[in-house]
Amino acid sequence: MSPGGNFTPLVCLSHITKRFGGAAVLQNVQFEVRSGEVHVLAGENGAGKSTLIKILAGVHTDFEGRIEIDGKAVRPQTPLEAKALGVAVIHQELSLVSSMSVADNLFLGRQLTRCGLVQDARQQQEAALWIQRLGLDIDVRKLVEQFPIAVQQLIEIAKALSQNARVIVMDEPTSALNAPEVGRLFALIQSLKVQGCGIVYISHKMEEIERIADRITVLRDGQWIGTAPAGELPMAKLIRWMVGRELNGQSLRHQPPLGEERLRVENFSVFPAGKSKQPAVRNISLSVRAGEILGIGGLQGSGASELFLGLFGGCGSAALGKVRLDGQEIDFASPRQAIATGVALLTNDRKATGLILSLSIAANATLADLRGLSPAGWRRPARERAATEKMAGLLHLRAASLDLEAGALSGGNQQKLALAKWLQIRPKLLLLDEPTRGVDIGAKREIYQLMNEWTAQGIAIMLITSEMPELLMLSDRIIVLHRGAMSAEFSRAQATPEAVLATAMGLNSCQPGAGFQN
Amino acid sequence: MAKNSSFDKKNPLLQAVASPAGRAFLALLLVLALGLIFNGDGAFFKMGTHRDALRQASVYGLLACGMTLVIVSGGIDLSVGSVLALTAVCSAQMAIHWHWSGWLVVPACLMIGAGCGGVSGLVTARLRVQPFIATLSMMVLARGLAKYTSGGMKVSTAMMNADGTYRYVDVPPLFRWVDNRILGGNVSMVTLIFVAGFAVAWGLMSRHRWGRYLYAIGGNEEASRLSGVPVLAAKTGAYIFSGMFAGVAGLCQAAQEQQGDPEAGAGYELIAIAMVVIGGTSLMGGRGGIGLTLLGVLTIGYLDKILSINAVPEAGRLMLTGVIIVAAVLTQRRSRT
Amino acid sequence: MKTANLPPPTPNTQSVASLGTPNNWMPAVRSVLFVLCATVIFLAGCNQAADRAVPSSPAPQKQFTIGMSQCNLGEPWRVQMNADIQAAAAKHPELKVIFKDAQNDTLQQRAQIEEFVSSKVDLLIVSPKEAQPLTEPVARAMDAGIPVIVLDRRLLGDKYTCFIGADNKKIGKAAGEWIAKALGGKGNVVELMGLQTSTPGQDRHSGFLEGIAGSEIKIIFSADMKWLEPDARQEMESALSRFDKIDLVYAHNDPGAHGAYLATKATGREQQIKFVGIDALPQEGVGYVRQGILDATFQYPTGGAEAVDTALKILQGETPPKEIVLGTRRFDRDNATSGGEIIK
Repeated sequence: MSPGGNFTPLVCLSHITKRFGGAAVLQNVQFEVRSGEVHVLAGENGAGKSTLIKILAGVHTDFEGRIEIDGKAVRPQTPLEAKALGVAVIHQELSLVSSMSVADNLFLGRQLTRCGLVQDARQQQEAALWIQRLGLDIDVRKLVEQFPIAVQQLIEIAKALSQNARVIVMDEPTSALNAPEVGRLFALIQSLKVQGCGIVYISHKMEEIERIADRITVLRDGQWIGTAPAGELPMAKLIRWMVGRELNGQSLRHQPPLGEERLRVENFSVFPAGKSKQPAVRNISLSVRAGEILGIGGLQGSGASELFLGLFGGCGSAALGKVRLDGQEIDFASPRQAIATGVALLTNDRKATGLILSLSIAANATLADLRGLSPAGWRRPARERAATEKMAGLLHLRAASLDLEAGALSGGNQQKLALAKWLQIRPKLLLLDEPTRGVDIGAKREIYQLMNEWTAQGIAIMLITSEMPELLMLSDRIIVLHRGAMSAEFSRAQATPEAVLATAMGLNSCQPGAGFQN
Repeated sequence: MAKNSSFDKKNPLLQAVASPAGRAFLALLLVLALGLIFNGDGAFFKMGTHRDALRQASVYGLLACGMTLVIVSGGIDLSVGSVLALTAVCSAQMAIHWHWSGWLVVPACLMIGAGCGGVSGLVTARLRVQPFIATLSMMVLARGLAKYTSGGMKVSTAMMNADGTYRYVDVPPLFRWVDNRILGGNVSMVTLIFVAGFAVAWGLMSRHRWGRYLYAIGGNEEASRLSGVPVLAAKTGAYIFSGMFAGVAGLCQAAQEQQGDPEAGAGYELIAIAMVVIGGTSLMGGRGGIGLTLLGVLTIGYLDKILSINAVPEAGRLMLTGVIIVAAVLTQRRSRT
Repeated sequence: MKTANLPPPTPNTQSVASLGTPNNWMPAVRSVLFVLCATVIFLAGCNQAADRAVPSSPAPQKQFTIGMSQCNLGEPWRVQMNADIQAAAAKHPELKVIFKDAQNDTLQQRAQIEEFVSSKVDLLIVSPKEAQPLTEPVARAMDAGIPVIVLDRRLLGDKYTCFIGADNKKIGKAAGEWIAKALGGKGNVVELMGLQTSTPGQDRHSGFLEGIAGSEIKIIFSADMKWLEPDARQEMESALSRFDKIDLVYAHNDPGAHGAYLATKATGREQQIKFVGIDALPQEGVGYVRQGILDATFQYPTGGAEAVDTALKILQGETPPKEIVLGTRRFDRDNATSGGEIIK
C-alpha cells in the first residue's frame, strides 16, 4: 500500500486475482498509481501485465479484488465506464480510425451535434486546442493515416486527455518511434506529470525505464514481486526480480548424442513488406546439429518468429541469405517446397495460422502430407485414418472421434494435432514457435517428452518460447535475438535467466559464448 | 464449459436432422409436401412433371455444381450466367453453322468455359482482386463477348443468304442428342448430363486431394498456405472448373433452344448461388459440399415446378421464392458448438 | 548502474503473416493490365460503333444528318429496327444516320438525345425506353428546331412531330380472330404471355380477348413467360402435364411459341396442337412458319422503313400526320413465302 503522507493515489488495485479456466493468471497483485508520477510496470512476457491493465480498463470484469479510484471503490463493467472514470489506455495497436480526420477521431463516439447534425467547425476548433496543448502543430482536418506513427500516437494521447483521463496507461509506446520522437514523447510525459496525471508505463526497454521511471512494479508469473522507487532498483536487481525463480530441480531434457550439422544459416535477413525498409531479421548466422534443440531467446519485436517464417519459405523473396540443410543449399520459395524437403514450422498461433478449425482432426493431421498419402490424386480415406490414428497415439491425442472438428478440441489437444500434422511429413528440422502456449501442465510435460524422443531420432529442433524456465530447460544451446540481430549465444552451462533477459533487452550485446558479467 | 446443447443430445435421429444435410433434406421434403397438396389437378403425380422439373433444374444444377467448388474455397463466381451465354452462342455457331461434330464442339465448350474461369481465377488468386469484383468483371466481359460473337442476334438455324433471304439448316445431331428423352421418355438427357457433372464434382470434392485443398483454403487460407497447400493453383482450379461447368450448361441451353442466344443465362448465377446456399454450404467457405447442393437444386427446382403447374402469377412466385430462400437459410444457421 | 549504447530503435515489425505477400509492384501491374484491357475493349467498341454509321457517299444534293436513339439493342427486334432504318437510308445517299444505343438505360438515352441536339442534327428518330423521363428531352429538341419522329413506344403529351408505331391491341385482336376461325369457334387454348408489366404484353392479351370474344374458345392455362424462350418451354411443360387436350398455343412472341413447340415436340403431341406467335422477324418467326413449326405469326412491324420515308418528307418541308399506325401482316402456312397477308 502507499507509504502514506501527502501522496494521493489516483488508482489503487489491491488483492487482484484473475483466473482463466483453472489457471490463475494473476494472484493477489497490488498496484497503485499516484498523481504526478510515472509508474513503470515491468515483467517478462506472460507475467500478467496486460491482464492487469485490462482489468483496470474494464475489459475483464470477472476478477477478485478491489479497484479504488480517488479512494472510492469502483467496478467498471465496460471499457466505456473505465474511460468515464478517467482511465485511458494507449495500446500499441492504436485505436484511431485511420480513414477519418484527426478532429473526427478525437470526438469519436461523442460527436458535438446540434439537432442531430455534427458541428464540424466546433469539433475542429476544440480538437485543435487539445492538439496544440501537446505541442503538436498539425491540421486537424487531415486524415489520421496521413501522419506518421509517432504523430498518431500523440493524437491518441490527445484523445485520451480530451476525455479527461487522469490515469494514462502506455503499453510499449516507443516500439515504432525513433530517437527524437521518443524524446518528444518523454517531454510530453513530463508535462503530463506536472498537470497531475498518473502515467503507467509498460516497457521492457531498460534505457527507457531508467530514464523515465519514478517507481517500478515487477510482476512475475502472475505474482506481485515488489514495488520500489526507481533509485532503489538498479538494473541487476530489477532483472533478478523479473526472472529470478526457484529452479525446478530435475531437468526434463535428455540430450541424445548429437549428429552431423543439420542446418547452417549464413547472413540471413528478412525484409517485411510495407513502408518501413527496416529488416525484421538482420544478418543472422547460426547452425543446428541433428538431435540438438537450439533455443531462440528474445522479447517482443526480436524477429524470432520472422526468422522461422523466413527459413520455412513463408516470406518468399523477402528472405535473403544462405541456408544449407544437410550440406545441400536450399532456397525455399514457398512453404510447399520446405515441407517437401523435410522442414516443418509450428506457428505461434494455432487458431489463426496453425489449424483449419472447420476441418476434422483427420483432415488437419493429413493436410501437410496429402501428396504423400494420395500419390495419384485420389484420396485413400483408410490410409489417412491409419496415419492419423498412429500420430494421435504417438502424441497421446485424446478425442472421441477422428471426425470431430478441430475447433472443438481443447488447447492442448489442438497443439498436439498441429504437431501431429508436422510429424506426418517426417521432418528433419522442426521449427517450434511457442509449442506449449495455452497448453495445460500435463500436456506440456508430454510435449517435452516428445521433444526428447524426436531429438533421439535425429530430428533437429529450433525452439522459440517466452517461458524462461522452459527455454533454459529444453535448450541445448541458446541464441538470443534483439531487434532482429543476434545479441548473444549461450551454451547450456552458461545460460542463466538473468543473462538471457539482459541480452534480450539489448544490454551487453557481446561476443557469443562470453556469457553475462555484472 | 461449452454452452451448446446439440452435442448433449444423445438421440441420433435428432442429431441427423440437425445436421446440415438433414436440414436441407427437410426443406426439400417440405417443398415436395407442398407439391402433394397443391398438385395442379394431379399434374404433380405424373411422371412427365418430374422429368420436366429435373430437366429444367439441370442447367441451373450444372452451374450450382461449379459454384459449390468456388464457394467452398472461399470465393464466389458471378460470371457463370454470362459464360453460359458465350458458350451457347459459340456452340450454336460451331454445331449449326459450321457443322462441327460433337467430338469437337464439346471440348471446345469446355475450353471456352475453362478459359473464362481461368482468367477469373488468376485475377482473384494471383492479382488478389476480390472474387466478387473479379467475377463481376468477367460477367460483363463474357456477356459482351457473347454479343460481339453473335452480332447481337441469336445464332439459329436460320442462315442469311447473300441476297438477304434466309435458308434453314437442320438442327445438328449433337443438339438433338442432348435434347432427347430416354428410358421410355421418362428421363431427359440433360438430366443425365447434370448427373454426370454432379458425379465429377462429387468425386473431386470428396475423393480427390484437390477437394480437400479447397476446403482447407476456404476454412483458413493462411494456415493452408503454411501447411503446404498450393493455394494459388487450387483457387484458380476451382474457377476453371466453375467455368467448365458453365460451358457444359451453355451447350445444354443451346441444344434445348436450338439456337445460341447471347442474352441467355441472365440472372442464372443468382439462382445457382441460391441453390448452393439453400443446400447448406456456407458462403464463408470451408464448409458444405456437393451433396448438399444437390438437395438445394432439387428444392428450388421442384418449387419452381410446383408454382408453374399451379399457374401462380409472376408476382406471387417472386415473393414466395424469396420468402422460402430466406426461411431455408435461417434454418441453416449453425447452432454454437 | 551500467548503461549500454544501443542501436536506434527499429519500427514495429509487421505481423508475421503479412510477410511474403505481393510487394510494391503489384498495384503497378494491376494498373497496366487495367489500361490494356480498357484499350482493347474500347477499340472493339469503336469498331462496332463505326459499323453502325452509314458511310456518307459524296452527294451533290444537300446532306442531311439524322440521329437515331435506340433504347437497347438487346432485343433482336430492335436490332431489326436499326437494320431496317439502315437499309432504307442506304437508298438515299443524301441521308446520313448516326445510331446511338442507350443499353436500356433511361438516363443514358436522355444524355444521348441531348448530345444529338447539341450537335445540331437535322432530324431525330427516337425509340424511347419509357414515356415519362424522355418527354422533356424530346420537347427541348423540338424547341431547338429539330423535328422528332417517335417510334414504337409513345411519349406523353404531343411535343413531337410524328409517332409511328404498331398497335399491339389490333395485333392481338387479329390473332384472336384468326385463332377463333382456325379452331372453328371452340377449343382449349394455352396463352403464354409476355411481361405483363409492359404495355405490349398487356395489349396483346387484351386484344386477344377481344378477338376471341363471342366464341367458345377457353383459355385453360395462362402464364407469364416474360418474352423468354426457356421460360415459355417450362410453362408449356407444366400445361402439357396438366391438360390432356390442348388445341392451340398462343404466345405473345415467336421465341415463346418456339419454346412451347419444343416442349410439345418432346412429348410427341406437336401434331395435335397449333402454335401462334407474334413478331414475324424474317429469320425467326417467318422462318418457323416456313419450317412448319408455327401455324401462324403476326408481324409486329419495326417501322424503320416508314420512319425513313417520313423523315425524308419532313426534310423536304412536308408536314406528316401526327400519328402513323402501322398495319400488321399475318404469315401462315399458305402465304409465308409470298409475303403474308396484310391486315388493316
